[in-house]
Amino acid sequence: MSSTGSDDPLPGVPDVGTQELDAMVDAEAADPREELSKTDHDTDLGIAMAEDAKRVSRGELTADAYWEKYDEAAAAEFGDAYRETPNPSIEHPDQTISSDTAESLGCTVGSIESVACNLPAADVDASERDVDGRESGDCTASETSGDERWGMVIDLQKCVGCDSCTVACKAENRTPPGVSYNVVMEEEHGEFPDVTRTNVPRPCMQCENPPCVQVCPVSATYKMDNGVVNVDYDRCIGCRYCMIACPYGARYFDFGENYDDEVVEAGEVTSPEYGVDRGERDGGESPVGNVRKCSFCTHRLERGEEPACVETCVGDARNMGDLDDPDSEVSEMADSSRAFQLKESEGTDPNVHYLK
Amino acid sequence: MATDQSSFEFAPGFVDDRLRTAWYALLGLLLVVGGYAMYLRITQGMQSTNLTSTTPWGAWVAFYIYFVGLSAGAFLVSTLANVFGVAGMHRIDRDALFAAIISMVVALLFVWTDLGRMDRMYHPFFWRQVTSALSWEVHAYVAYIGVLVTELYFAMRYDLAQVAERATGLRATLSGYLTLGRRATTDASRETDRTWLKRAGILGIPLAVFLVHGGTGVLFAVSKARPYWNSGLFPVIFIVSALLSGTALVVMLYVLRTRLFDDEPVDRDLLARLGALLAIFVVVDVALTGIEALIAIASLHPHELDTWGIIMFGEMSWSFWWFMVGFGWVFPLVMLSKRSWRRTPWLMALAGLSVVVGIVAVRFNIVVPPQIRPVMEGLPHGAYFPSLVEWASSAGMIAVGLLLYTIGAELLPLTPLDRGDH
Repeated sequence: MSSTGSDDPLPGVPDVGTQELDAMVDAEAADPREELSKTDHDTDLGIAMAEDAKRVSRGELTADAYWEKYDEAAAAEFGDAYRETPNPSIEHPDQTISSDTAESLGCTVGSIESVACNLPAADVDASERDVDGRESGDCTASETSGDERWGMVIDLQKCVGCDSCTVACKAENRTPPGVSYNVVMEEEHGEFPDVTRTNVPRPCMQCENPPCVQVCPVSATYKMDNGVVNVDYDRCIGCRYCMIACPYGARYFDFGENYDDEVVEAGEVTSPEYGVDRGERDGGESPVGNVRKCSFCTHRLERGEEPACVETCVGDARNMGDLDDPDSEVSEMADSSRAFQLKESEGTDPNVHYLK
Repeated sequence: MATDQSSFEFAPGFVDDRLRTAWYALLGLLLVVGGYAMYLRITQGMQSTNLTSTTPWGAWVAFYIYFVGLSAGAFLVSTLANVFGVAGMHRIDRDALFAAIISMVVALLFVWTDLGRMDRMYHPFFWRQVTSALSWEVHAYVAYIGVLVTELYFAMRYDLAQVAERATGLRATLSGYLTLGRRATTDASRETDRTWLKRAGILGIPLAVFLVHGGTGVLFAVSKARPYWNSGLFPVIFIVSALLSGTALVVMLYVLRTRLFDDEPVDRDLLARLGALLAIFVVVDVALTGIEALIAIASLHPHELDTWGIIMFGEMSWSFWWFMVGFGWVFPLVMLSKRSWRRTPWLMALAGLSVVVGIVAVRFNIVVPPQIRPVMEGLPHGAYFPSLVEWASSAGMIAVGLLLYTIGAELLPLTPLDRGDH
């Protein structure tokens, strides 16, 4: 607060110098020799490689020299594991080893991505059987097999009605005022002091028999193979018949309103809904004048991510997965005796299930 | 009628020039106001309406089904003459057909205005959906307009040829074009016309009843998410109220045009016949609406109860009691209750106007109420009253229809030259 004595300790802040802090880091750091001795491989080689790697990062040694120095030793120590694993340093823009050096090495040359993709899927599955599982890399091949029927299971006992799914959805899909793909229907029952509250989050149900698809006069809304009901913004004429037909009120008309008054350059970024990047939200361009709805964050599913609402849910109430896979977590939950769907009598067979 | 070419005078239209000026001035005013509203609708998009995602359909949809009904009703009245050969009805069949065509034009104007993307109005002809009533409807409308135009042509061609042959000036030239080269005025050619007129009418009846207007009812009735519409009786009521409004329109047009354009005495037998028809349709409409309401209320389905509650006691219940029940049913029934009143032209014109206005409320009360209560408990409630832009643009589109009708009535032999007594 005052300008005098900048070295004076501030209230509540421990009076320690950088040397003490460095010492704390050293004290916490694991002893390399001790760590490496836990493996089956040569400890001395490991230490030497690590020390030289530090020199490479300090610029005291070139990557070419480093790899030339250790190529033989590594091949001898790790055998096939070394020879068959792509060497990622060839890819790095700042530290590319020359192609001559790369050719001379005993290991395969490749990118870091291919390393991740070549890991056996089972390894990842076994290590990460969490709800968020199978989210370790960018390679699509092992993430989505492409024949899923996406489904969502929402555990109402875990839902606290915080509405963060609604907010996350708005932020992810950058929906305009009046358009909210996900809402939480909140209801209070009973009279004080015997009051209960139910919170029912409502995304698009991605029905197996969608009434919206049935009524669209131009087939602009249709069911995709992955179970998601798509809206083709370039074909939709904005007749709003689908909104009339939807028993869940899950469809919203884009009246062309914007958050310009509240947020600077609000329309600058749009969400690549259904995998289509439409650039800036501009004047009367689609999806203005179209009907919009939750897409299960198709653009996120396609890159192996969960929908924003699922990822953000504080109570872990929302689950995403493949309903066609009988062993998937969502299938098991959807089969439980607690499971139900909204308005089952409508015959729409939603792909969103709830747990009572 | 005059057969001497020199004495043939064909000049339908306003008898009174001051009335003509006043009428066109009124239409001009409505068109200017409506045109400005349309400009706002196009530049501001759907923000210019009071529609929301809870109540996505409003005034424009109500007017659209209103004019489709008006058209179907007027058309069916025309078939009384040219298909069923009811005596004494020929005088009004062209008028009814012409009004039916104009009504469809206005109806399509309303649907077009209602589209979120007006620039894509042609899409339904490029992409279809077999399960969508709306997809079928769009095609049915086009086919129906085709049938109407064909009918009007065959109903009027003989007279057009006569006018082209014997009269002079703009009307003669126009009539000449409209004969499409078939200028014969022989009895044989007239018989051919009548045969084809009847054939087109026979094709048109199922088209109008089941596809055009019944289909428009189906469009609503298939919406299972809105129990108020989701009933088998609904499309039937649609057709009956179409017949009601169409007959009322024809009654009104007949009286007004005979008095103001033809300056002739109104045929009171014809008037009484149309009046009786109108009374029957009012009674059937009331009865079916009552049955529909009873079934809905007896179901105790909360959505049905709420919707009927909104209609009868809600914010807009004045439109139900005053316009739908009052103007649409009670007032015309009172007017039609006495034999001498049924033969009084201005009273019948008034009864017709009353029904024509009342059925607008019927259409609003079809479209809006089931969109007030949200489809899911916990979603926001709707509230809807058309915005100024919606009202003004609607007035403008109706003015377009009135203008087209007036111009047609001033130029075409809508009243048969032989006064229909063949």
